Amino acid sequence: MPPGELVSALHSDVAKDALVVTFETNLIALALILLLGTPTAYWAATRRSRLRDLVVTLIELPLVLPPAVAGIGLLAAFGRLGLLGGTLDALGIDVAFNKVAVVLAVTFVASPFYVRTAVSAFEALDPTLPAAARTLGAGPGGVFFRVALPLAAGGLGAGAALAFARGLGEFGATIMFAGSLQGVTQTLSLAIYEQFDLDFDVALAISAVLVATSAATLLSVKLVTRWRSTSSSPIPSVASSPLSS
Amino acid sequence: MRARLLTVAALVALVASATLASGATARTHADPLTIYAAASLTEVFKALDGAQRYSFAGSNALETQIRNGAPADVFASAAPLNAERLFKAGIVDKPVTFTANRLALIVPKSNPAGITSIYDLRSKPVKLVVAAPAVPVGGYTVTVLRKMGLSSVLSKVVSRESDVKAVMGKVALGQADAGFVYVTDARPVSDQVSVIRIPAWAQPRVRYEIAVVSKSPNKAAAQAWVRMVLSAKGQTALKNAGFLPLPKASS
Repeated sequence: MPPGELVSALHSDVAKDALVVTFETNLIALALILLLGTPTAYWAATRRSRLRDLVVTLIELPLVLPPAVAGIGLLAAFGRLGLLGGTLDALGIDVAFNKVAVVLAVTFVASPFYVRTAVSAFEALDPTLPAAARTLGAGPGGVFFRVALPLAAGGLGAGAALAFARGLGEFGATIMFAGSLQGVTQTLSLAIYEQFDLDFDVALAISAVLVATSAATLLSVKLVTRWRSTSSSPIPSVASSPLSS
Repeated sequence: MRARLLTVAALVALVASATLASGATARTHADPLTIYAAASLTEVFKALDGAQRYSFAGSNALETQIRNGAPADVFASAAPLNAERLFKAGIVDKPVTFTANRLALIVPKSNPAGITSIYDLRSKPVKLVVAAPAVPVGGYTVTVLRKMGLSSVLSKVVSRESDVKAVMGKVALGQADAGFVYVTDARPVSDQVSVIRIPAWAQPRVRYEIAVVSKSPNKAAAQAWVRMVLSAKGQTALKNAGFLPLPKASS
């Protein structure tokens, strides 16, 4: 198939709508993952307890669960007849067949990619640095925002990119939990699935977009990681100072 | 967050034990046929002949798979179109009509939207689930609504599913308020859904066609299996499952 036809196939409404839905839901999901995942990861990285191991295991679970199980789990928890369905309904939050459902599905399957990487990034910090900051009068919030967060930024960025790349391709949990409707819940993966029977060229064109986006995301992780490791930082000299001894 | 994750953990344990329990089923037939059949035939075909290998899905998905060389011996389609297209492409032998069906509107037993008639779909806020237009039951749904002058109801569709069982599941789970399925799909889950009948004058002509895949390596067995479906045994099983007899007298 010539590239020209591939591009023209992308001009179909199905492809355009799917592109918008995918990026809209994935950016919201990514924001949620960063907001909730970062403090959780920091907590997990600075604790050594059974509770910590349990929490980390639960967070990692979606990583190895089949998407179908994730879909069932989301329905059992957030479905209208699920555990929290009544509560959400009472709060006026409707999660059936709308973008909220897609965001939940993406957040659920993609969050471990970020949190896992973020825990490692926080654990890799030199423990003397937060200690030094505390001796200089920084509170827990100051240590987190002005020491831990900037130092772990590279790892956090890599984790966020991985989570985003995973979320873009989310399929199983979404089709089970959010359904598929063009312009509302039909993401790129769901559009490929639908178009496969209808118009193979459109399916192929959307697939090419996903391949390109994912490749670009993964490549950017490598570039950022390399840039950070080559750019010099004043950290080593601080770390070698005998503050904590 | 933790409640959600704990639910998932419990489900994992449940699914794991169920899989272990069912994994021990022994195959009695030496060389089973591979039968690609419309999702609506799931229960009746399994009950009719449990010794074959089945792949149930939307007829349109199965058509695409067979066109791309899926190793099917028999194709049973919920619409003539899908079987006829493969016949014209020389992929399957001449299809024959083997049964018929009707559509119904289903609502969850709890009936959250209070739907008691099809016309309620127009007046009440409702989360309606249908099959995608390319799926046979999705096409039939559009026909029913057009015949009843209710095409505007399609704006209340919240999801277009890939086959009739997916529509069924969304309604049975209470996730959707209503959905269009075949009457035969509602039977196995009659404890979870209520059926709202569609008048005879609005019913589409739902005809199922069956064909042997031309390149099947088990052609004789496949042809015998199709004859069995057309025989009194097969027809009785279909009738007992709620399918309609053939429109014309079959020989």
